[in-house]
Formats: sequence, C-alpha cells, structure tokens
Amino acid sequence: MFKPTAFIKEATEQIQKTVKGKALIAFSGGVDSTVCAALVNKAIGDQLIAVHVDTGYMRKNESKNTKKLMEEMNLNYRFIDASKEYYASLKNVTDPEKKRKIIGEKFIELFDEVANEENIQYLVQGTIAPDWIESGGELRDTIKSHHNVGGLPEKMNLKLVEPLRDLYKDEVRELARELHVSVSEKQPFPGPGLAIRIMGEATPKRTDIVREACAIVEEEIEKASSEKKMTLPWQYFAVLLPVKSVGVHGDKRAYGQVIAIRAVESMDAMSCSFSTIPHDIIDVISNRITNTLGHDINRVVYDVTNKPPGTIEWE
Amino acid sequence: MVSIYVVDNGGQWTHREWRMLKYLDATTKIVPNTTSWKTLTDEGVDGLILSGGAPRIGLENKLGNCDEYLRKSDIPILGICAGHQFMARFFGGDAKPSKIPEFGKITLTLIEREHPLFINVPKESIVWESHNDEITILPDSMKNLAKSENCTFQAIMHKEKPFFGLQFHPEVNNTEYGEQIFTNFISICKKNQTT
Repeated sequence: MFKPTAFIKEATEQIQKTVKGKALIAFSGGVDSTVCAALVNKAIGDQLIAVHVDTGYMRKNESKNTKKLMEEMNLNYRFIDASKEYYASLKNVTDPEKKRKIIGEKFIELFDEVANEENIQYLVQGTIAPDWIESGGELRDTIKSHHNVGGLPEKMNLKLVEPLRDLYKDEVRELARELHVSVSEKQPFPGPGLAIRIMGEATPKRTDIVREACAIVEEEIEKASSEKKMTLPWQYFAVLLPVKSVGVHGDKRAYGQVIAIRAVESMDAMSCSFSTIPHDIIDVISNRITNTLGHDINRVVYDVTNKPPGTIEWE
Repeated sequence: MVSIYVVDNGGQWTHREWRMLKYLDATTKIVPNTTSWKTLTDEGVDGLILSGGAPRIGLENKLGNCDEYLRKSDIPILGICAGHQFMARFFGGDAKPSKIPEFGKITLTLIEREHPLFINVPKESIVWESHNDEITILPDSMKNLAKSENCTFQAIMHKEKPFFGLQFHPEVNNTEYGEQIFTNFISICKKNQTT
C-alpha cells in the first residue's frame, strides 16, 4: 500500500538536499501541482515562488480560482496572463503534437523570464507517472507529449525537480488529503488545457465554445451527482469536433459543429472505461449545449470508448 | 522478502507492474532490457517480469537481453504481452500480427483452473488487452492455460521451467483478478526460493 506520511517525510528530506536556493513551481492549480507546491513549501518555505500562467485555454473561472488558491496557501506567487501570446502561437496549428510542444515551450520561456529576474535555478513540476510514460522516449513509444515532459525544449537552463514522478493520481490524492490541500478531489485537467479539447485550430472563438460546453457538462454532472442520481465520474468534459452536421433550427436548415461528451472511470489514467451516465442527465446536457450554444453547435454525441484503444482526452 | 525485478521492454504499463509488486510488498526495481543476466543474479533477484512494449514481436526477433534470461534462468519468469510472445518464439513457437487484435475489455476463459498462477481466479473473468501481435504456434515445450474469443493463447506455461506468459495485462487496474495473479506469481517466486 501507499504510505503518504512516509512519502512526505522522504520527499521533504530529498528536496532539502537537492534544492539549494530559490525554486519556481509551475502552478496550474490542479491536484498534482498544488500537492507539489505544498510539499516543496514545507521543505524550503518562502524560497519557493509559484507561477500561474493563464494560457487562455483554462476552464471557466479557473485562473481566477487558482489565484485565490495561491493566496489561501500563503505562497509567494506570480500570475501571468499570457492568453494573447498563446493564441498567437497556436494560430493555424492543427496537429495535436505540435500544439502540445508549442504550449510546453511557451511555458518554459515564461518561467525562464521569471527565473532570470528572481535568480532562480530550479523548476519544480508536479509531473506524475503517466506524464513521462506517455511522453515516451527510447524504447517507449510516444502516445502524447505531455507539456511538462515531452513538451520541454531540448536545452533548458533550469534544473528540474519532480518529487511526484513515480506516483499516480490516486496516490497524489492521498498525499493531498494528508497535506490538507483543498483541491484534493478536483478532477484532472491537462496542462495544454482546452487547446487539446478542440480538434483542429484552437482559435479564441472555438475556445469560448468548448469552455462553455465544458462548464455545462461539469455543472450538470456535478448537480446530478450531488442529487445522488449518479456517482461522480473520474473525469468529465466536452470536446469540440472538427466536423459539421446538418440540423434544423426554426424550420430553417442549420449546418453546425459537433460537441462530444466524454466521461470516464479510472484510478490512474493508464486505463479507463467510459462512464454510464443516466440518459436523462445526458438529455439535460445535450439540450443545454444545443440551446445555449445553438449558434455554433447543433449536435451532441457521447463517447463510449475505453482506454485502450482510446485515450482519455482526444488529443 | 522476495525480490522481483521488472524488465522494461518499453511498455505503457511497465511502471504499473512495478507498482503492483511494490503494493504486494515485494522488493522491486525497473531495469532496462539491456541489463546483463549477471547483474541480475549478482543483485540476488528471485523472479523476473518481462514487460510488454511497443516492439512488434510478430515482426522482430529481438527483445533486448530477454533471450539471455530465458536461456540461463532457473528463477520464475512471467512474460506479459510482448514478453509472452517473445517467450513462445524463443522456445521454438511463433508470433504474428493478429487477425483480430484485442484492445480494452475482453473475457478471459481459463482452460487450466488448477494452475498455481490462477489460484482464486474464476473460470471466466474480465481482463484488459492491448496487442497488435499474438502467438500463432505454441512450442511443444509449452502448454496453453487460457483463451479468449479472438485469441487462442492468452496464458502459457513452460512444461519443465518456471516460466509463464500472459497475453493480457494483469497489472492494469481494470483487469478483475490482476492483483490476485500477481499475488500468485509472488507465491511461485517465494516457493522457488526455498527449493
């Protein structure tokens, strides 16, 4: 079994041994980076600076809430709104691996700037096992380049510190509970954010569509689960597809885009089965999406693929 | 304490095998498949897992030093997926691209229920698969222990040596009796320690 207290003790000692001076943590506000920040903060205190980047591909209110979280945790922090830069660098990019690499490199550029100003040598990341496993290398095939591993530039000045590398999400959550981290049960959200939930070009307009659709999926599923109509899936979100389909709106032909709903059960993200959401809940979600986003979306589908052969996210 | 190493053939679930062993209190470590047999014996290992991996055993003959381990070992070896296919090929069988590859949820049917590897595993159970190739010819020195609808050789054993192979993935969380199969393999390694 996993022993969180023993892990915390060992990791803290290890961090104190390796990190001499100031360190920067890439802080998305998800479970992994928040646990990592709590752990490193415990080890080196105010030598740690948390940096949150609003990439423009965050979910509704996510960056605002992350700012609050950094304040709650009494972290030294920097908040960078880089959404315009990200949108510009992903213009005309449709290949999922290219998106991931551009996003990864951009993160490092921004961190380097802060590191230079603050004279920081270490970059702490909440990298966990699936991130480096799926990023591949040597014998292992690249399934997808996780921005924090496969998306890193070849040459880096900052030294990486990744205390959670051998853990999976369930173990990180155990640490989170032990460290009283408020986001311990927050659902996973990938570093490249909504950019990889948009098949094709991740324009600001398409990002707004998928952001709203994700918010609807989250709100309805969380509501249904709090009313005990279903159990909360491990992860649940919307994906904007690159196909159009024909519909009918007020006796007129509509030709709009498609949203896929994805909800899965997993423990470690290395395998998953699709969630069986009750049909009446899917019905509510579908109606809300096609009505509030009716101008762009006229069809909703439900993804019934396990991993393998699929992966959790679509890109 | 029993020490079982995971030989990394580049699988997506190599690290899950390591975690499974760690949770079941075995001493374990992931080692590259280029590790020499001597290094492994010098470290006093009691059992080996040959992980799966992206190499296509149906198309290639080589899997690091896995052939050396199979030639020299008298400790238990469990081959998973690519490791399982390689084992059959090493002893004179063959593996080829599957006519119907299996991905995800599959029903496993045990042919040989009394086998030590399948203690407390029912005749039918859900297992998770992910393979492009499969064993097409089982060597005379090996015996088939399980099958699925689209794959004849899901679990194999050597008739004289403590070597086993599984086409499915017991290390994956969705495999119903995966942890039980690992527990059973650990028992096999412990038993072999004392003989």
